[in-house]
Amino acid sequence: MSRKLKAGIISVSLSLIVTIVLTSVLLLVIGKNPFVIYATLISEVFGTGYGLGQALFKATPLIICGCGLALCFQASLFNIGAEGQLNIGAFVMSIVAYTFDDMLGIMVMPVAIAAGFGVSALWGFVPAFLKIKRGVSEVITTIMMNFIALALVNYFLIEFLAVKSTVRTEKILENVFIPKLSDISSVFQGSSANMTFFFAIALAVFLYFVFYKTRFGYELRAVGLNPTASRYLGVKTNKVIMWAFLIGAGMTSLVGINFIFGYKGYYEFGFSNNLGFTSIAVTLLARNNPIGIIFTALLFGVLDYGGLAVNTLVPKEIMLVFQALVILSILAVDKIVKIYYLKEN
Amino acid sequence: MKSDKYPAIEFRNITKKFGSFTANDGISFSVNENAIHSIIGENGAGKSTLMKILFGIYSSDSGDILIKRKSVKFSSPLDAIKNNIGMLHQHFELIEDFTVFENVILGSEPAKNGIIETVNSRKIIAGLIDKYKLGLEPEDKVSDISISQKQKVEILKLLYRNSEILIFDEPTSVLSPVEVDEFFKIVRKFKDEGKTIILITHKLNEIKELSDRVSVLRKGKLVYEVDASSLDLNELSREIIGHVATEKLPDERTNNNGKETLLWFENIKLKKDNVEKLCGLTFSVSSGEVYGICGVEGNGQSEIVEAILGSEKHHSGKLEINADNVSLVPDDRIGKGMIKEFSVGENVLLREKKELIYDNKKIRDRSSKIITKYDVRLSDESAPLESLSGGNQQKVIFGREIELGNKLMVLVHPTRGVDINSSAFIYRIIIEERNKDKGILIISSDLEEILKLSDRIGVLYKGKIVSEYSKQDFTFSGEDAKKEFMTKIGKSMIGVGV
Repeated sequence: MSRKLKAGIISVSLSLIVTIVLTSVLLLVIGKNPFVIYATLISEVFGTGYGLGQALFKATPLIICGCGLALCFQASLFNIGAEGQLNIGAFVMSIVAYTFDDMLGIMVMPVAIAAGFGVSALWGFVPAFLKIKRGVSEVITTIMMNFIALALVNYFLIEFLAVKSTVRTEKILENVFIPKLSDISSVFQGSSANMTFFFAIALAVFLYFVFYKTRFGYELRAVGLNPTASRYLGVKTNKVIMWAFLIGAGMTSLVGINFIFGYKGYYEFGFSNNLGFTSIAVTLLARNNPIGIIFTALLFGVLDYGGLAVNTLVPKEIMLVFQALVILSILAVDKIVKIYYLKEN
Repeated sequence: MKSDKYPAIEFRNITKKFGSFTANDGISFSVNENAIHSIIGENGAGKSTLMKILFGIYSSDSGDILIKRKSVKFSSPLDAIKNNIGMLHQHFELIEDFTVFENVILGSEPAKNGIIETVNSRKIIAGLIDKYKLGLEPEDKVSDISISQKQKVEILKLLYRNSEILIFDEPTSVLSPVEVDEFFKIVRKFKDEGKTIILITHKLNEIKELSDRVSVLRKGKLVYEVDASSLDLNELSREIIGHVATEKLPDERTNNNGKETLLWFENIKLKKDNVEKLCGLTFSVSSGEVYGICGVEGNGQSEIVEAILGSEKHHSGKLEINADNVSLVPDDRIGKGMIKEFSVGENVLLREKKELIYDNKKIRDRSSKIITKYDVRLSDESAPLESLSGGNQQKVIFGREIELGNKLMVLVHPTRGVDINSSAFIYRIIIEERNKDKGILIISSDLEEILKLSDRIGVLYKGKIVSEYSKQDFTFSGEDAKKEFMTKIGKSMIGVGV
């Protein structure tokens, strides 16, 4: 194991410990016994198949969206626009799905996915184009594209497409749903976890291969590490930036598979619940490593469902505090590990 | 030495190494109180390093600095400022949105109970502007004033902090001739006021006009010192450039058949940020020859490379490149020549652009080829390139570019910061490649290197080749002829007598 990887594991574990301690202090302040809370959380999530399933279900879109973001982040493109990209992509995915499901049957899935991917990719194209042609910071453009995407989705959904007195699209046919995990094993009975989870894992593994074993991955990381040197080494940096944004943004739309084909059968306004932003934390925490993203997404999934599970004891927002503290402490601990373990200055 | 003057600064045996590269090698000299002392030398000679040590930015590995006969050890510029030493850097550190006044007091604001007291400090600053005829308006916003005025703001900052010893790092490189005259007046005024000035420069006329004494650094060593009154410009320019080693070329050319022009700049003009950087540049490189471009840095060297790469477009003239790809060893090996986080093999594969899948076997293949063939010393093949020494990094880049097998190679400062042995190794390979009918362009400010390797030499000055020499011009019959040639070429490098 390389020293860098070891350092990474050390700093993640250390910051988890710091977070647990800090959260405990907060729990004590509001008069709760942290041991009871943590014990309940652990037994609820890991003690029942349902709880575990829910945690996997929550982790699935975080893995997928995290992979899309990792593509951008590896090239040092700070894509803040996943929230908009994934919403407009999933929205279009659902429209295509319910419109053509009786005509195409199960084959509607690839078609709908392609359509969603394409629209999200278009949302990635704009910031990439502006960055390449005009040097506009992608941070600003992606934030602005978020507003546009959410406003457009809202408008078309409410004005034209929503089922009466709801904020959702029409439901797709039952026969184009993705099998649930409970269909394979009764352990997961009642949970929304579905086969998309395995797709997400496969996607992360594939992306890991792309990043670390292919020319495209090396060029992507080279552009992220040193764009000037990349240019001198003959890497077409603009092309790399464009592809990273197109595929990365497109990939975020794939979270729609989990929700539309695996769970509800329709797009519902607000389904993402800030998924696009939480994924930024998940990705950064994993240092843009897709395999790492699987683990950080699972951690966030556990916390997400765990928050609900302990909601009777403490407000579920305590887990949001926990998530935020993890990020803050990893940033602080990382520096300390770098200085004292890796002996960098 | 006159009896009423004692040294304001004494350098005693200053040595500073960066990795295996010695930037300052046992430098000893002293700067007299109330004198203008020039330090001259080529880029990479160690001038800036020495000044950064004096100013507390670097600490020396060994040696002492004495200020007014007292040994000092600065751990940061703040210590230097406390000892009334001020440095004018090449790059300004001003807040563009602040006024001149605000910039001057920033960092040493005269405050009372947290409220800045301005009446007195305004008076002081106005007094300084008046006394040294700086011609600044304290209430002007820095973003609205010219570069030469910005420089004066920096000088004003030093004066406001009561600097008695002033270090000017190539102060005139950003100034027009008229502004230079103005600057000289200010510097003389400083001397009249009893201040001590260290002037880092590579312009000979400045030395002649301003200095009391000159120290020449070459390759980290103090090689020459002279009072300005007994200064001979010819001798000085030879000392700056150094003596050409008498050793023969590693391998004389054997065949020279079927010449083909590989690179041709014809009257190229190129603008960058609206400044004409190449002003009608003409030269060509043929197969089987080494063309050396020498000149002081900043005369268009990087623009030549950018033009060949195609990342900067010329607006007039004709540029012909008769090669599918160009091998390039850039000037800044870490910033441009490699991805420092990647290993040897990964850097080679990335540059090759051939394979789609980079598996461990391919990475190992590439790295072991480069490591054995180019004698790269490293502990771990999979270590990132940044962990290698500068010389070994350079060999990796060098080997990688040669293995590409391109007909045309561009080498910028091929041995800068590289130790003698690695340099010799690199020289041998350059000649070998030339003998394989490759066309090689070397851009370097190291004249020794250029003379040793080139078949033809062009002197670059202000974006133009001002003089060109072929092999017979610098095949010397004796020491005197060589000396004469060195003086001639050294002068045209700095624009004297062209």
